[in-house]
Amino acid sequence: MKRGLKDFTRKKQMYGRMFILPWEIGFILFFLQPLVQSLVFVFSKVNVDFENGVFLTEWNGIENIRYFLYEDTQYVDYLVESLTSFVLNIPLIVSLSLIVGVLLNQKFKGRVMFRSIFFLPVIIATGVVMTYLTGDATAESMRGGTGAGNGIDISGILMSMNLTSNITSKVIGFVNQIFDLFWDCGVQIVLFISGLQSIPEQLYEVCRVEGANKWEEFWYVTFPMLSGTTLLVIVFTAIEIFTDSNNSVMTYGFNAMRQNMWWQGPTILWIYFALVGVILGLAVLIIQKKIFAKWAQ
Amino acid sequence: MKFFNKEITFTPERKLLYKKRTVSIIINAVRYFFLLALSYVVLFQLFFMISQALRPRTDLLNPSVVWIPTKLTFENFKGAFEKLEYLKTGFVSIWLMEVSAFIEVMVCAVIAYGFARFEFKEKNLVFFLVLVTIIVPTQMLIIPMYLNYAHFDILGVFKWFSDITGLPDFRPELLNTGLTFWLPSLFGVGVRSGLFIFIYRKFFEGLPRELEEAAYVDGAGPLRTFISVILPSSGVVFLTVTIFSTIWHWNESYMSDMYNKLNPPLAVKLDYVRNELQKDSRSTAMAACLLFVLPMLVMYMILQRKFVQSIDRVGIVG
Repeated sequence: MKRGLKDFTRKKQMYGRMFILPWEIGFILFFLQPLVQSLVFVFSKVNVDFENGVFLTEWNGIENIRYFLYEDTQYVDYLVESLTSFVLNIPLIVSLSLIVGVLLNQKFKGRVMFRSIFFLPVIIATGVVMTYLTGDATAESMRGGTGAGNGIDISGILMSMNLTSNITSKVIGFVNQIFDLFWDCGVQIVLFISGLQSIPEQLYEVCRVEGANKWEEFWYVTFPMLSGTTLLVIVFTAIEIFTDSNNSVMTYGFNAMRQNMWWQGPTILWIYFALVGVILGLAVLIIQKKIFAKWAQ
Repeated sequence: MKFFNKEITFTPERKLLYKKRTVSIIINAVRYFFLLALSYVVLFQLFFMISQALRPRTDLLNPSVVWIPTKLTFENFKGAFEKLEYLKTGFVSIWLMEVSAFIEVMVCAVIAYGFARFEFKEKNLVFFLVLVTIIVPTQMLIIPMYLNYAHFDILGVFKWFSDITGLPDFRPELLNTGLTFWLPSLFGVGVRSGLFIFIYRKFFEGLPRELEEAAYVDGAGPLRTFISVILPSSGVVFLTVTIFSTIWHWNESYMSDMYNKLNPPLAVKLDYVRNELQKDSRSTAMAACLLFVLPMLVMYMILQRKFVQSIDRVGIVG
């Protein structure tokens, strides 16, 4: 009897390995190999004999990286621009989706309708369509707000407050951005809603019995229970921004790839990826240690 | 106190009731205001596209026309239809991308089941690698993959084999074929497969084990158990993953731009003809965008109600 059980466990182990074997093969062929390859390209001189499908790589040290950081005229500017928007946008997108997620999770009339509307950006806001839509002056003015023409003249108000044009343009940029950022929130809202749904109802009942108000409920139950979801959303948002077609580093790198510039493309992206990885890693660490640990006590 | 000619006495209970009511009205007002404002941001672009696409060319220069065209016309759609070669590129999108999406939806489920139900030593390590594939953007893999697809090889074995035997080079070229997307999907490393494996795993782990154990006792193998026990009770998660996978495949343009240049799917074609269309007129450009998002919009509208409900039940994140 005991032996039979042991056999069964061993068999189940084998079944498990069988189930994930295809993934392991795919991981090596279609992920690990190209990843290592592109990392090698970063540190090499690459010569491609495209006809025969052979490429020769010659060790070049950090020459490629040095080239982009010190000699390329545009790269550092793009890098700074992308990284700043990265650092600024993630908190905004995550908090905006959290607010909308919490709102949509409550029971009220029209909830289903709003949920369907807020998923639309996932369908419409794709790289290509957005390049058509953004920067269209007519669309901006029709939307009202900060564009030329009708709407509230924010820049006029700011000017009359005797602010320098520098500050004015920053504020306007920020207001414009809040609206645009909402386009990136589709999936994050879905993630938050499903995270909210998995919080056990009993916790809220306890709150009600203890006489906590809504605000306390949010800070002592909802928010800590969402810590896992929040981390996932942060990581997901980071990837979205990273691969966004409006991202100048991404465009720069991708255009290089399109023109078959073999080492340039990978170098551009690897430097960026490494920096983003460091920032993201630090952020996740801080969030886990400082913020969520508080509630864990 | 008199109120509409009625004498009203404010008992404490009544006061409390009124206070509650006022608060709830204010909360509702704020909530609807906020949600409507955000809906406007989303719907504006959609309505803008529709309004622009349906107007005749003369309306573009007419300042009195803002939202509603003087007369409706489908001319722009016709122009965009031809420029996009809609039927051809649309077919490529379905054949290349949606077939890949279908494969991905199935394969990821099988793999995730392995992670969800079986215990073996290296499981956590392998799942960590799954998470790594989510984090690393595919753009970083494109160049080596492109070179590899040009002369497809499995870790250099084919090349090595033909080198030592003197046989002619038999590495097939996969560029501009569907295999560029089907192969990774088949092995569970396609477009955002990692995320789907993650979602499936969470869901399968939440299913009760009793039914499966009954199936094992009855002598069913693991794959059979998966098909006859797990699949029927996982409609919700399949719906979620299918919708995401379909949409992300439809919109994918980075990889297909590199691998399928000769035979581009709709998303890539839309990018190629952008200058041409925008020079033509804004209406044609918007009509082209609408034609591009239309299949996904229709699909979403059909499945929307079920999808919105399913979000509640999938519990993507524990």
